[in-house]
Amino acid sequence: MEKDKKLEELFLAQKPTFDDKAEFMATVTRRLDAVEFVRQHQENTLRRYKLAMVAAFVVGFISGAVTMAFVLSMPADVPLFTFSVESSILLWIAENSRLIATTALALLMSFGIMSIISNVQDILVLRHKCVLNY
Amino acid sequence: MTREVFITQIEREQEPLRCFLLALCCGNKSDADDLAQDALVKAYLSSAGYQEQGKFRSWLFKIAHNTFLNHKDSCRTMETLDDARTLISSTTADNAFEHQELYLALRTLPPKERSAITLFYLNGYSIKEIATITETSEDAVKKQLSRGRDKLRQELKMED
Repeated sequence: MEKDKKLEELFLAQKPTFDDKAEFMATVTRRLDAVEFVRQHQENTLRRYKLAMVAAFVVGFISGAVTMAFVLSMPADVPLFTFSVESSILLWIAENSRLIATTALALLMSFGIMSIISNVQDILVLRHKCVLNY
Repeated sequence: MTREVFITQIEREQEPLRCFLLALCCGNKSDADDLAQDALVKAYLSSAGYQEQGKFRSWLFKIAHNTFLNHKDSCRTMETLDDARTLISSTTADNAFEHQELYLALRTLPPKERSAITLFYLNGYSIKEIATITETSEDAVKKQLSRGRDKLRQELKMED
């Protein structure tokens, strides 16, 4: 495609000159410093959050396993808890207290682990967004 | 790319970048400089992924072009010529320019035509390079240039 000479001359004739280059660069540098500070802060926060999640996972897993082992190691013929009220349902609960406690603990641990995994995934997505979407 | 290398590169490229954005902003220096700053921050944050060796300016212009289009999308601008005249006469930067008519004429072009025309006539890019910067096809760039040139000639009352 041929260039329109008159238009080209018009554009080139009014090419501006900038006498505030140093000032412009100083502003850019200041903004880059600010962005760098925010980025570092966000990365540190995310790292701390991730560490907290991993710590919660490990502590939860170990304490859950210890509690479960403790419950299962108790004598099978002695219920974990009893009710003073005479009722067939409560009696059934008391007889199966070990099984109920173990199931509840396992459900609680599963829910905790799923929450932690979900949080860690959110952190990873957030970190990815922080890097890409500034 | 390290921070020092990036700053050295942008020190060299700031003038063409600001010229480009000043033309896209039709002589509004404050908007152009704000967009230039935003584009440079975006470029800095993406500089880790920059691999096009030797094409730093094109890469920077691509980011600046996208920043300009996002800015145009996100804010309501004064589109009439009267508004443009008021704006231009009130900005100190434009007093330095002899040919304000060109900025007024550029204002009548849609953003994509304005980008193509500016890159072609002011920055001297080829159609292929403009297609890369604006992420469109070469045919689309040719059409934008052709339409933009006709409109500019009409606005500027230029004779053949």
